[in-house]
Amino acid sequence: MQYNNSRWKRGSKKDESTALPRLPRCGLHRHRHRFDFAGAGSPYCYLQPEIGMAMGSPDFDEEEEIPFREETSFISSSSPRKGLPHHGSQNQVHHNHNHSHNSHAYSFETTAAAVLSPDLPKSSVFRLLRITRIRSLYVVLIKAKINLLLPFGPLAIALHYLTGKHGWVFFFSLLGITPLAERLGYVTEQLAFYTGPTVGGLLNATFGNATEMIISIFALKNDMIRVVQQSLLGSILSNMLLVLGCAFFTGGIVHYKKVQVFNKAAAVVNSGLLLMAVMGILFPAVLHFTHSEVHLGKSVLSLSRFSSCVMLIAYASYLFFQLKSQPNLYSSVDEEGVSGENSDEEEELELTQTEAIVWLAILTAWVSLLSGYLVDAIEGASESLNMSMAFISVILLPIVGNAAEHASAIMFAMKDKLDITIGVAVGSSTQISMFVIPFCVVVGWCMGKEMDLNFQLFETATLFITVLVVAFMMQEGTSNYFKGLMLILCYLIVAASFFVHVDPKSGDD
Amino acid sequence: MESRVQVKQPPLNAPGISDDLSETRKMNSLNGRLTDKFEDEVPFSPEITYHQPGSTLAARGSHSGESPAVHRETLGGIIYRSIRLVVFSNRLNLLMPFGPLAILVQKLTGHHGWVFSLSLLGIMPLAERLGYATEQLAFYTGDTVGGLLNATFGNATELIISLYALKSGLLRVVQLSLLGSILSNMLLVLGCAFLSGGIVFNKKEQVFNKAAATVNSGLLLMAVMGLLFPAVLHYTRTEVHFGKSELALSRFSSCVMLVAYAAYLFFQLKSQSRLYIAVNEEEGEAGDNSNDDESPEISKWESIIWLSVMTAWISILSEYLVGAIEGASNAWNIPVTFISVILLPLVGNAAEHASAIMFAMKDKLDISLGVAIGSSTQISMFVIPFCVVMGWIMRQPLDLNFQLFETAALFLTVIVVAFMLQEGTANYFKGLMLVLCYLIVAASFYVHVDSNSEDQHVT
Repeated sequence: MQYNNSRWKRGSKKDESTALPRLPRCGLHRHRHRFDFAGAGSPYCYLQPEIGMAMGSPDFDEEEEIPFREETSFISSSSPRKGLPHHGSQNQVHHNHNHSHNSHAYSFETTAAAVLSPDLPKSSVFRLLRITRIRSLYVVLIKAKINLLLPFGPLAIALHYLTGKHGWVFFFSLLGITPLAERLGYVTEQLAFYTGPTVGGLLNATFGNATEMIISIFALKNDMIRVVQQSLLGSILSNMLLVLGCAFFTGGIVHYKKVQVFNKAAAVVNSGLLLMAVMGILFPAVLHFTHSEVHLGKSVLSLSRFSSCVMLIAYASYLFFQLKSQPNLYSSVDEEGVSGENSDEEEELELTQTEAIVWLAILTAWVSLLSGYLVDAIEGASESLNMSMAFISVILLPIVGNAAEHASAIMFAMKDKLDITIGVAVGSSTQISMFVIPFCVVVGWCMGKEMDLNFQLFETATLFITVLVVAFMMQEGTSNYFKGLMLILCYLIVAASFFVHVDPKSGDD
Repeated sequence: MESRVQVKQPPLNAPGISDDLSETRKMNSLNGRLTDKFEDEVPFSPEITYHQPGSTLAARGSHSGESPAVHRETLGGIIYRSIRLVVFSNRLNLLMPFGPLAILVQKLTGHHGWVFSLSLLGIMPLAERLGYATEQLAFYTGDTVGGLLNATFGNATELIISLYALKSGLLRVVQLSLLGSILSNMLLVLGCAFLSGGIVFNKKEQVFNKAAATVNSGLLLMAVMGLLFPAVLHYTRTEVHFGKSELALSRFSSCVMLVAYAAYLFFQLKSQSRLYIAVNEEEGEAGDNSNDDESPEISKWESIIWLSVMTAWISILSEYLVGAIEGASNAWNIPVTFISVILLPLVGNAAEHASAIMFAMKDKLDISLGVAIGSSTQISMFVIPFCVVMGWIMRQPLDLNFQLFETAALFLTVIVVAFMLQEGTANYFKGLMLVLCYLIVAASFYVHVDSNSEDQHVT
């Protein structure tokens, strides 16, 4: 009861538009709560038109039946948005959300109880006690379509021990981590409901790029410094070129008749930040390659470490600034998506706080496990697949971390919400350049590894050119399918250059 | 004297008056046009008084063959009229005799310096006439094909010169001349346009459509980015198979860029009516009375024939031109790079230069910008990749590895100009700055020696 009441309270909190436990929108996290893989047909893709979605969700094929009732405790979070009464009116809400899965869960567990209590408190406790764990298991692991890829994880591990064929292990672990990354984001969002905007923002900021961070730390541990640098760089490039390009392209094709516009000011600010971050990253490399350092080799390392600390401070203030200016952001942002906002606004609380924390820990552990195998298999895969390590690190590794963002960005573009798309893509790039990269340098420092900010000349030039070109291109404020196509083609060319790119021999440094 | 608007870029708007040769409209259009540089009495054709405002219909009729009876009278009459229209009506065509003269000099003396300069001078009017013939043909073919035509033949001169150079194995010359064409378009043409426009319109600041300029420069930036990667790869010495990787990458990038160019044309044609109505891109559409009133002056078959004649003529002269490059460089003691980057693009760009300046003086900066940037975009997205692919077919190892200096110069130029255009206004000072920048770039190429020009020669 206690617990339930607290959840009620939490739910009722959402009635107030001001005290939103929602997470800050732009730049602080990867908007996981916005885009929960609607593209993947996930049933809690509350971004899809609500009506009929519950019925039409492909995921329901996997389940036995059509959910018949909403659990008011869960829809209470969303109902205020629609102006519906708090409890009850399940039928109405039922049409509006994809919470049918909740009731389905209930039905499959406690048919009697779930059937119909319009009044939540009575049944919710009952429900809670009986089906929490299994339900949460279901919610987290089974609902999303992307979880079809889950078996690849254990398969990769099995392959590693059985055959030791690095190519296969690499690919399978790649496929296996992708759904975990997505789930990690989902759980983070859920946890953020409970923690309020501040900590929630921090959580999202940290765990938003958790996958990249975990992979990088494992690579650091194995002394694969170049892999770390290149995978993070590849993540930035993929976000700015591929994700943005696909989003513009699909959005432009879907909204064929008109030119899509986005908020120029926000895009400019974001790209300005990204440029500054990139500039901070570039200086050690520039110093190195003009052969003008005081102590050859050591200066670059110390400069990198110093720069990283400075950039982490910058990132902290960036978060602070975002949270402080949040109310302003909200006002403009809410107007923007008013029509489809109904779907966005409801983030269902599907997990309890402890559940969320537990799942967070479990998923992180799982990702770490698989990352270990992934990183171990990189070199072997490079040889067996006959691809340069650069290509694998820059092009293939970021796929894992970016798959979720990719899907969400495309989906938002198709809904003509380009601002969110740009926030996702550019925001993620900014986060990586301002947080993940310096963080890895600092972690390397702690581990005693010589990780520095000296991406080699080619990567540095590529990064600089890309950021400059995309920043310039976004200044205009419109998008169309041709721009998207150009971005994608540029990514193709970049990928091709990395395909034929090998690192200069270490004697060059 | 006919004044004509030479807009090499696709005038994707085919006016619906393609077959309307009404006299009054022509006369009005001619009256309404501002003089361009070449509008003057041409000594060759004293009969051209029919273009003067005061000319009578009768005089016109007797020459232009308006009445069907006259028109079908003699083939010779048609040819005569056509020749006069096309060949003699433009002041630039004064330079035409230089072409045959160049061939003559080549045969007689083999003095490369003279041959080079004479053929250079000789090709210029041909390039302009080629543009004219293309425009005329575009009247008849409608929007789509007209756009394609202009897109292709707009840079025909550069294309032809490059193909000849490619065949002779002068790979550096190809790269440098195309690069120089982009630089000249962005700095010299734009600068002169801003400068002359600013001087003429001294009292006010000229404005142009910021959005269109930004879109165009964004495209150019992306195209240049696509071109730069092989060079960057080479210069960071990080390729898998030294020498071969960048060639493979260049060829791949070129195919990608050609696909992008096809999409670009498609997109332009599709969005033509919808989005860019008020925006003058390369088309020179809005507010351009002279263009709108422009009616075809020669018939469809004439334009096709002239097109082929001009192309053939240009090809012949280009061959002599390209053959004389090295000799000229020796004779005049100028590096080949300077000749390729600065002198060769003059040929292809002379017409655009003139038209951009003229439009700027008419306070139609959008068209000037469209011409300049559109031409640069076309070269970077079409001509350069096309040459690489042709080199692939011809088994010449042409790649996109412009050397470090050229690559840096190109990138810097495009970024600087792109940023400068974001403001949306122009004045003579900006124009002057651009021209002076071009001067500096030219000077650097004057003292620039290709480190490995020898090993680029594959004959």
